[in-house]
Amino acid sequence: MILAEARFSLLPGLTVIGIVLGGTYALAAIGIVLIYRVSGVLNFAHGAVAMFSTFIAYQVSVVSGLPGWLGLLAAVAAGIAMGFIIERLTMRPLAGKPVLTKVVITIGWLIVLQAAAALIWKANAYHRAVKLVSKSGFRLTGTSVVVGYDQLTTLIVALVLALGTAAVLKYTMLGASMRAVADDPEAARLWGISVNRVTAASWMAGSAMAAIAGVLITPLITFDTFSLTLIVIDAFVAALIGRLTSLPYAVLGAFILGLVQEYPTAFTNNSGMHEVATFALLLIALAVLFRPGSRKLRVA
Amino acid sequence: MSDLRLVRWTAVGVGVALGVLIPALLTDFLRTLAADAAIAGLIVLSLVLLTGMVGQISFCQYSFAAMGAFTVGSLVAGHHWDFWLALLVGVFFAAVVGVLVGFVALRLSGLFLAILTIGVALFFDRFVLAAGNWNSFSGGLSSWRPGRPSFFGIGLRGEYAFYLFAFGVLLAACLLVWNLRTGKTGRVLRAVRESEVAASTVGLNLTAWKLTAFGISAALAGLAGGLAAVRVGSVSAGSYDFLHSISIAAIAIVFGAGSIASAPAGGIFLIFGREALIDWTPFSTQWFDVILGAGLIFQLVHAPDGVVVDIERRITRRLRPPRQMPSESEQRSPERVPAEVG
Amino acid sequence: MALLDLTEVSIRFGGVQALLDVSLQVREGEIVGLIGPNGAGKTTLFNCITGVLRPDSGHIAYDGKDLAGVKTHRRARLGMARTFQNLQLFGRMSVLENVMVPIDAFSPGTPVGDAFRLPTARFEERKAEERARALLYFLDLLDVADLQAGDLSVGMQRRLELARALASNPRLLLLDEPAAGLDARETAALADVLFRIREQFKVTMLLVDHDMALVMRACDHIYVLDFGRIISEGPPEDVRDDPEVIQAYLGEVA
Repeated sequence: MILAEARFSLLPGLTVIGIVLGGTYALAAIGIVLIYRVSGVLNFAHGAVAMFSTFIAYQVSVVSGLPGWLGLLAAVAAGIAMGFIIERLTMRPLAGKPVLTKVVITIGWLIVLQAAAALIWKANAYHRAVKLVSKSGFRLTGTSVVVGYDQLTTLIVALVLALGTAAVLKYTMLGASMRAVADDPEAARLWGISVNRVTAASWMAGSAMAAIAGVLITPLITFDTFSLTLIVIDAFVAALIGRLTSLPYAVLGAFILGLVQEYPTAFTNNSGMHEVATFALLLIALAVLFRPGSRKLRVA
Repeated sequence: MSDLRLVRWTAVGVGVALGVLIPALLTDFLRTLAADAAIAGLIVLSLVLLTGMVGQISFCQYSFAAMGAFTVGSLVAGHHWDFWLALLVGVFFAAVVGVLVGFVALRLSGLFLAILTIGVALFFDRFVLAAGNWNSFSGGLSSWRPGRPSFFGIGLRGEYAFYLFAFGVLLAACLLVWNLRTGKTGRVLRAVRESEVAASTVGLNLTAWKLTAFGISAALAGLAGGLAAVRVGSVSAGSYDFLHSISIAAIAIVFGAGSIASAPAGGIFLIFGREALIDWTPFSTQWFDVILGAGLIFQLVHAPDGVVVDIERRITRRLRPPRQMPSESEQRSPERVPAEVG
Repeated sequence: MALLDLTEVSIRFGGVQALLDVSLQVREGEIVGLIGPNGAGKTTLFNCITGVLRPDSGHIAYDGKDLAGVKTHRRARLGMARTFQNLQLFGRMSVLENVMVPIDAFSPGTPVGDAFRLPTARFEERKAEERARALLYFLDLLDVADLQAGDLSVGMQRRLELARALASNPRLLLLDEPAAGLDARETAALADVLFRIREQFKVTMLLVDHDMALVMRACDHIYVLDFGRIISEGPPEDVRDDPEVIQAYLGEVA
């Protein structure tokens, strides 16, 4: 742990990266929260779904040379398909079984998707990121900080989708059904809501968001099967800050996480500090979540 | 009952005999794999203890193993310690880390424990064992190369000798865990799993017992790591990463964490399954993980207790005469609340 | 001096005042009853006494010692034992094991002794099993010793909870609705069981129940709890005739 001389001049630039990173975490976290709220299952395969979808985009845009947006579309389609398959084939048959069983099944999916992707696209090879927007950017007036258009796009997409999800949950019929199922599946059934359909919808929507998060994050992190799969942990940390149920706090948590991961770069050359920051925030989130007297969470 | 015991001990006897004899006929390469299987079996055993007895899940058993492996590597190769002393220290360090994780885990269960242990595994992978952080422990970019020890004057350099040694350690560990399970410790831990409120009300110190379980489980994994260090002859972080932890957890679940027999069976499956795939099929090792993951999913959808446990139950049912409820005209108990896992 | 002495214990959950200034004494050798309608706070009170919940204010003293900050398992070691209204047996363990666990909790054996089957561990094990069997015999459960606790009838499960509570050799036994789910015959038998327990184990009891007949018959002294407050106390005859009690509790039942 060598402390380099503090380089405060880096802070504004790191803030930009941290916020953009946070935006992608927010997207992934929203998917986690959505699935957790509706089905009670914490999806450990979320990162793997993101990773696999992103490699579909890579196949379409980088390998086959088609435009970036087509790759993104393909990734979203792949995400939705995976969400559907996981829910339909391995969650629905287990209705009424302990939630931990379902959670371990998602870990099974993590292993399958991770190994399959490593087979198809080679685990440790270098992969070029899917390019959606040109890399050029603009200088923030009065500073030396350059913001890339790709970074800006990432942030805007993340925010729009976050707000969009919140709006859908709040104002549409589907959202109302989702909230009803989350609160009380039995009552929802009595109201004539198809619990199965709503649950499937949450898995598909959540997985689609994972796919978008995956494609957007590739320019920012190492683009290989393993690293992408592990964004599930970042998403968990953000979602835990939102107590796994609150979308706004999960988004806030995502931005905090992004910044906390980036700032140490100003003070140390050790890239491991990124992990230390994540782990510390995870411990804090778990500790806060489980402080004595607050155990009334919907935890199976 | 006595039939059941007879079958059990016959099975153990046959298993031990085969375990000793078969590798005697194999090539040195296959003997090293057999030793690896015994070592992997130890890690499955550590999960049999933690998951099967206490009901706690863990996805960081290889991080505990890494504590054992890197302590042995660092002390033996870096500081020229005696292997046995280094192994003892390594097991102790692993237990300490296990207790620390257990301490954080005290209030957590189910999903949250799963998240925590994955966090721990990644923290180990990317920070503790990453080159540049604690090189005196992790060896930095050049990995430690501890040599093979001798066991009461018998050199363990030969692959068969080393295999027998590793196999012996696994058997001894299985016996100890069996004793724990059938004794007071097992009873107490099962009670804690069944009802924490009741367990503490009858006077059990939940904190102490849970930490004990985490400590013993991590110590077993650490022991496995220490053996792996000298089996391979070099210690590198890639052999103890998160994916290893998650695969071994999958194996423990597929075979059934409820049975000690899952330990040797899981170890053999992990090591030789991979090898068989490469040798006898056109598939590469990555297919093994695809199959393992798919097996895990299939298993949980269809027989959640695990393969070995399922088989044992069938045998037990056949051998044990069905018990009759004593004739009392009392009504049956209302449906019991399903055991909470989270 | 009372064995158990509660002074002005209060606790609230969010907006609900579950207990308000509850004072209550249980003297050594007595069977004290605590009655009250559903939701009056009886189980909450038990949870405070055993340390599962921490009261917001007030004092709980046991044998002259303040229990503030004493953990649940430590209270068990001081000689407290309880049964649960909603049956907290170790469901997937055998009946015998259920009774052995409290004995284990007090025995000095460690996992090391277990792992290596040291003679001391084996001796403790045999002693624990003998004692557990004796208790099962006492409560007429010896025939089902090897069955799973979860497979027993409710009546047997209630008796098993008693056996488990007695296994730690308590001075004070807290009984949370031991008659719930029992039919009239079983309830009548339960009163006799409680007298036998008092005689044989010299144990003091605090009994919570709905069943007026049981409480009236078994208890020396009765407290009535309603909406978290003690509204009446005294010998059974007095409490039975208290108009406020009739209003709050008996009126509701009749």
